[in-house]
Amino acid sequence: MGAKILVIDDELQIRKLLKVTLQAHGFIVLEKTTGSDGVLAVAMERPDLVVLDLGLPDMDGTEVLQKLREWSQIPVIVLTVRDNEIETVALLDSGADDYMTKPFAIGELVARIRVALRHAAHAPTEPVLQVGDVSIDLARRVVEKEKQMVRLTPIEYDLLKVLALHAGKVMTHHQLVREVWGEQNSEATSHYLRVYIGHLRKKLENDPTRPILILTEPGIGYRFMDFA
Amino acid sequence: MKNHYLWITGVIGVVAFDYFFVPPIFSFSVGDLRYLILFAIFLAVAILIATLALRLRMQVQESERREEDTAALYHLSRQMTALGDLDGIVAAIVNDATHTFHVSTWLVLLGERMELTVQGRLLEDVADEHIKTWDIYDSGLNVEVCHWVLRYGKVAGYGTDYFSKERVRYIPLKTEEIVRGVFALRPNEDSIDQLDRSHHLIEAFVGLATMSIARIQLGKEAQIARLSAESERLRTVLLDSISHELRTPLAGILGSVSGMIENATVLSSDDQCDLLFTIRDSAMRMNRLVTNLLGMVRIESGMLALQRRTCDVADMLGVVFRQLQDPLQRRIVDVQLQTDLPPFYVDDVLIEQVLVNILSNAVKYSPDDSRIDIQVIEEDGTAVLMIEDEGIGIPEGDEVKVFDKFYRAESVRRIPGTGLGLAICKGIVEAHGGTICAQRGHRNGARIVIRLPIDESEENDDGCQNSSHR
Repeated sequence: MGAKILVIDDELQIRKLLKVTLQAHGFIVLEKTTGSDGVLAVAMERPDLVVLDLGLPDMDGTEVLQKLREWSQIPVIVLTVRDNEIETVALLDSGADDYMTKPFAIGELVARIRVALRHAAHAPTEPVLQVGDVSIDLARRVVEKEKQMVRLTPIEYDLLKVLALHAGKVMTHHQLVREVWGEQNSEATSHYLRVYIGHLRKKLENDPTRPILILTEPGIGYRFMDFA
Repeated sequence: MKNHYLWITGVIGVVAFDYFFVPPIFSFSVGDLRYLILFAIFLAVAILIATLALRLRMQVQESERREEDTAALYHLSRQMTALGDLDGIVAAIVNDATHTFHVSTWLVLLGERMELTVQGRLLEDVADEHIKTWDIYDSGLNVEVCHWVLRYGKVAGYGTDYFSKERVRYIPLKTEEIVRGVFALRPNEDSIDQLDRSHHLIEAFVGLATMSIARIQLGKEAQIARLSAESERLRTVLLDSISHELRTPLAGILGSVSGMIENATVLSSDDQCDLLFTIRDSAMRMNRLVTNLLGMVRIESGMLALQRRTCDVADMLGVVFRQLQDPLQRRIVDVQLQTDLPPFYVDDVLIEQVLVNILSNAVKYSPDDSRIDIQVIEEDGTAVLMIEDEGIGIPEGDEVKVFDKFYRAESVRRIPGTGLGLAICKGIVEAHGGTICAQRGHRNGARIVIRLPIDESEENDDGCQNSSHR
């Protein structure tokens, strides 16, 4: 029995596309066309994940997300359009789990749905995370690349740990700074974040100019490659 | 000098000769009658010479006046050729006419909305440097006569057959069949005679004025015609380019889809896969076009909001390479970053778009397995990004034009494109206060050089400018 996914979108074509392709991937798909219907459906039908389009006729995506988050921790993936990074970041910071920029490839959406479902299931974290040729031993605080130990500073390690624990999921600058440095969020810390990402890439990536482990999401944040 | 003075001086001479030299001297009586013949010859010669002298003097005066007229005309014509604007020409005509003919002068011109504007100078305030502008009804001119002259193109008013009671003479400025304005003169008591005598000069003056005004007006009309032709051309190019660029991928999509629907049973799964790839590529191409069009609109409408933040050029390049993964597979990309590059304080999303556009061009116009060099250095708070390919390069003379929107070089007509990519790059780079230019590279490919201010302090200096983009 596949996971139940609620699609909230007013565009018939997109709903049809999502229904056909997600069902083909083994999901059960529910459809709603307005924000209020969507919120109601989350309460009544108990879906496992929501795919939320931002341009709804009755209320905007932020509002729908707010209403949901008042009582539900259901994973939400928002569908956004290009050139809308500010709103996307705001949505991610206020509780959306991931985003897709329209037009998108279905494969990518399915991958993000799987990641969000996995994270929502709170699957017990493996003590050793294996990502490509990099392994992170959370118990021993040891990072190895191609079986060679990589020396990381405490902050570098914390940052890597946060990224790896959320592998496959986008993390905004703000979220990373909050997880690594605590609540202080300023221009300076986001500057450090950039610097430490650079250090991590130098130590872990084969070619730091073409990263495959820590990917930059332009204008939004970073995403740790998901090999699961 | 009148003719009877000639006679008087001649006669006085003869009488004086008789009195002082003809015996008996000191008497008017003549001893020998032969002297009478002498007197007659004497008188005739005196009058002849005096007449000739008089005529000579009149000729000198006449030629002096002609010289003045010529000088006045020359002065006016020199000003006419030097001046390029209508106001300046009108002022020159009015001033010269006032000074040359000692009359009050007006120039009535027909405006764009058929209204009459009057500029002129009254003889009473000739000392005033500037000419005056009036509404036709306040100018003291007879509106009815002005309209009549404009309509029929004939001289009217003082000293003519029409409206001869007027104190002002109205002369049409007429080229071929078009009356471009009215030249109005009002002589005062002293200059009435002169006006009649200067008939030809006035004609020459009016001719010159008409030509100059016509030249300016025709020049304006030609410019407007050229501009509208240019915008017409742009619109055609835009429509052609967009309709072609939209229809080509649409044709691919519709063709593939209908093929799959109609021939579902006969198509092998490989064929179906091929068609699906065609659909995907066509849709991606349409998506690129729409993105570019939207980008162009945002730049043109001044809605481009810069979201500057500190970012790493290596990071940005990583994003760009990931976006261009497929096309870059068949190129050798060499990246050279200066070792101690400072962070860039730019809108990373937009700069990434610039790099994507330039690299896409580099791929599009170069053969498989050729090199693309990317070099980034920093000089005094300005980043210099150089992207060089081994492709067909940019034709000489097109280095600036390639950044115009919808411009495409003749040599690349066969290769699909809208001519928007580089225009967008230019818009984005200039919004950052930078410059972008195209050159011929070392290996005859294209080289694009971007200079970008990346200092955080730069933004504070031009903060107002940026806020206008927001």
